[in-house]
Amino acid sequence: MQIQRNNILPKIITYLVLLIMLLFTLIPILFMITSSMMTSRQILRMPFNWIPEKFNWINFSKAIKGNDFNYIFLRNILNSLIVSTSVAITTVLLASLTGYGLAKFKFRGRNAVFMMIMGTMMIPFEAIMIPLYMVVMMLHIQNTYVGLILPFLVSAFGIFQMRQYLTTFPTEFLDAARVDGMGEFGIYAKIVLPNCKPVIATLSILAFRSQWDNLLWPLLVSQSEKMKTIPQYISAFAEERSTDEGAMMAAALLASLPMFILFMSLTKYFIGGSSVYESRKG
Amino acid sequence: MANKKYRGIERKQARWGFLFVLPSMLFFSLFNFYPIINAFYTSFFDKRALSKLAPKFVGLGNYERLFRLSTAANPLSFYNSLRATLVFTLGTFIPLLVLSLILAVFISNLSNNRAKKFLQISYYAPAVLSSVVAATIWMIIFDPRGLGNQWVNGLLHTPGVDRRWLVDPVMEQVSTMIIYFWKYIGYFVILFITGLASIPPTIYEAAIIDGANKNQTFWRITLPLLKPTVVLVSVMAMLQCLKTFSTQYMIYTNGAPRAPINVITFNIYVTGIQQQYLGRASAMSVVLFIMMMLLTLLQFKTTKSENVDY
Repeated sequence: MQIQRNNILPKIITYLVLLIMLLFTLIPILFMITSSMMTSRQILRMPFNWIPEKFNWINFSKAIKGNDFNYIFLRNILNSLIVSTSVAITTVLLASLTGYGLAKFKFRGRNAVFMMIMGTMMIPFEAIMIPLYMVVMMLHIQNTYVGLILPFLVSAFGIFQMRQYLTTFPTEFLDAARVDGMGEFGIYAKIVLPNCKPVIATLSILAFRSQWDNLLWPLLVSQSEKMKTIPQYISAFAEERSTDEGAMMAAALLASLPMFILFMSLTKYFIGGSSVYESRKG
Repeated sequence: MANKKYRGIERKQARWGFLFVLPSMLFFSLFNFYPIINAFYTSFFDKRALSKLAPKFVGLGNYERLFRLSTAANPLSFYNSLRATLVFTLGTFIPLLVLSLILAVFISNLSNNRAKKFLQISYYAPAVLSSVVAATIWMIIFDPRGLGNQWVNGLLHTPGVDRRWLVDPVMEQVSTMIIYFWKYIGYFVILFITGLASIPPTIYEAAIIDGANKNQTFWRITLPLLKPTVVLVSVMAMLQCLKTFSTQYMIYTNGAPRAPINVITFNIYVTGIQQQYLGRASAMSVVLFIMMMLLTLLQFKTTKSENVDY
């Protein structure tokens, strides 16, 4: 009896804390969804009414038409998709190639190379953006996809992940393929790469969203309307339409949809920890 | 003979290995090492982006200017940037660390697996939104007529008070912290849940058989064994916070005063890109780099010495 009474209070506290946190994380998202259908007047009404009176679709048409009514939103979201996808692809290719080289080949200076790559983790992008900006100016690649993509081709973290994963890859497979006369590059493309699917999924999601979220670099290299990315679009739209909250929220919601779809369909690769957790739940 | 042939294979292998790492090496040399060396170099010059004149060598002049004591009172000085960054970092990473640890322990202790999964996904959901979208949502919540004031006044029973979220210098900093905290809490909760899951259940079983209660197991087993994760998460969170830019940029471009949230990255952007003082911005970059390098080295050192083996 006494044990039971002791157990109830901590349980209530646990549930309460978890519930408050749940409200804190979800309410702003719900707010974005519901207010994207409202007029500014409804959004800023006291007290706030969570159910929109009617679906105010004009917010979405404003968001897509943009500040100058030239539908630049579509071009900007396309730019973001192109840049994010390209970075995801180059990251996976280069990281797997390098990770494979570091994990399965012995050559002089291998450790030095690995340490050097890990050392770049200490160089924050924010500290080298000014020199990179000067490089971009010198090469005249401002306002191009190349300029947007070039500094992010591969990440040290990606190489690290790939190397860790491939260290445990059975070398016998590789040797068997070599005996069968397969070339080294063929082994990488046909045996190593197809066997890295979980890491590839995690890495490409990571690379994709880091560029989807990137505001700073596009701010430096893309000044022309056509080459802006979606974070720049949202930022400019919010600045110009600061009194049109409904349209702002519609733009924010539209810009978030691709990531939400990705998150819903590939949740386990976003939340890497939960898969670890599930395997040990017994 | 056989030995020689074997060595031939080995050499061929070495060549392939080198070939495989070569592209990344080239990339890092061109886009990481060259720029950071260039940042050091440029920081000794008075270099302007649009000037046709050759950059003038000024030695430590840029650094002297950044740390000149007479500028300390200037609201947009580098001292203020250091202060803003420090306040933001401490004010964000300490709540992030403490709360994510608590939430992770609570979630791990739940018995219902579906509830666990649901909570993890929900806490993580804000991290899926981009920083720009997060800032946009919260800017509307922090409107004088918005939900922020309504909630706080509802909780404190102070109807009609405006908390001046994006106007008052102190509240403006608190607002940026709330936005950042909201976006990243789920991410750190998941990191801790992973760390907790790697503690073998047998240790807990042994402790329970020995008569330990929940409190004791947490302080005597969970926390000490979780120390590597705690160190990792805290340094990661600190590094993240030091690099914050988008939130501050969004709030500033929507009319909030700049001085309270003029963090180092924002100052680099304004000085280097908007005002075109590349030399001075490079000096700021070097300071940021040194700060982050020291933190990362600390992380490497602690994670190496604090590893727990079961």
